[in-house]
Amino acid sequence: MNFEELQKTWQAQPAGVRVTIATEALLREVRRNQRNFAVLIFLRDLRETGLCLVAVLFFGWQGWQHREWSTGLLVLACAWVGGYMLVDRWQQGRCRPVVNDPLKHCVTHSLQQVNHQIKLLKNVLWWYLLPFDAGLAAYILIPSARSWHNGLDACFVTGFVVGFCGLMTGALYWVNQYAVRKELEPRRRELAALLAGLEGNASPEAKP
Amino acid sequence: MTAHEQETIFRRWLEEHLGLMLKVVRGCAASPPDQEDLFQEVCLALWSSLPAFRGEARETTWIYRVAFNTALAWQRGERRRRVGHETFLKFEVSPQVHPSHADALPEQEIVAQLYAAIRQLPPVDASLALMHLDGLSYQEMAEVLGISENYIGVKLNRLRKQLAEQWQGVAHEL
Repeated sequence: MNFEELQKTWQAQPAGVRVTIATEALLREVRRNQRNFAVLIFLRDLRETGLCLVAVLFFGWQGWQHREWSTGLLVLACAWVGGYMLVDRWQQGRCRPVVNDPLKHCVTHSLQQVNHQIKLLKNVLWWYLLPFDAGLAAYILIPSARSWHNGLDACFVTGFVVGFCGLMTGALYWVNQYAVRKELEPRRRELAALLAGLEGNASPEAKP
Repeated sequence: MTAHEQETIFRRWLEEHLGLMLKVVRGCAASPPDQEDLFQEVCLALWSSLPAFRGEARETTWIYRVAFNTALAWQRGERRRRVGHETFLKFEVSPQVHPSHADALPEQEIVAQLYAAIRQLPPVDASLALMHLDGLSYQEMAEVLGISENYIGVKLNRLRKQLAEQWQGVAHEL
């Protein structure tokens, strides 16, 4: 059997499977899915930025009550992190791959998004962890410095704060890098291989 | 596009292009539960894509794009399995139907083997094989995949040989 005969058989293929579609149920499901997707996106954005907003309001109110300027640094850090996430989400939402695009465009967009996520998580120290650490350290150390009696007090409190922030930062950084290695890098390699297949490129690797 | 128009077009596409959607689904997913799952994903993606459909692309090109993009995302595990949702379709494997003569391979068996061979291919080659077997022109395939017609030609040459070789082995076994 040559290719043309195979093609002829393929085009005249018997169903092989019998499909029963409940059209009304399908339409209900697609409408529900569309609503759920919008809600899901809204809740995700709310969760990610909501915590920062609550922190800004809480520490802002506290700083105002106690007339403590150092609290302002923590408020600024929280506002920066929340704002950064919002702007990034908005920018990424604008270049989300569209399912009716040609396959190559869709894969290229998906690869760009994965590369962006990798970049974001690899730099999480600079835009998320350190600003928050700096704000937290200022929030604790500056008011407590007024009650230090000697160098030992200073060393003890500073050491505790630096140790706590360092441990917390290290743990969060490790979790983020683990996610990059275990989830994002394999997905990037897969998409890069797919794109290479579409471009006739021998090397499946693509630089992030 | 009004909701009524969207629903009308969607119903018509389901009637007219169900075969096309099923071929993509069967070419990308092996087991019936996976096929059901992927088919539902394709339907949802198609519905969501409808408001953007302006009639500039052919309907079949549009449906192929949506189906392939959805199938690739589904294969990468980017879409969650649809658990606990309302089921709106049922796949049942039909019993084999009449071979034309006693020593001929049943057509259904040939098609099943072709699907199995397609599922072994890399995703882009599988997409090309499905469209080529369906008789799409180079231009139509280029529109679906977003690559040049020349490159389609090069890939198809390789693919035809590969499928023919695979097929010889399968036919021999049968």
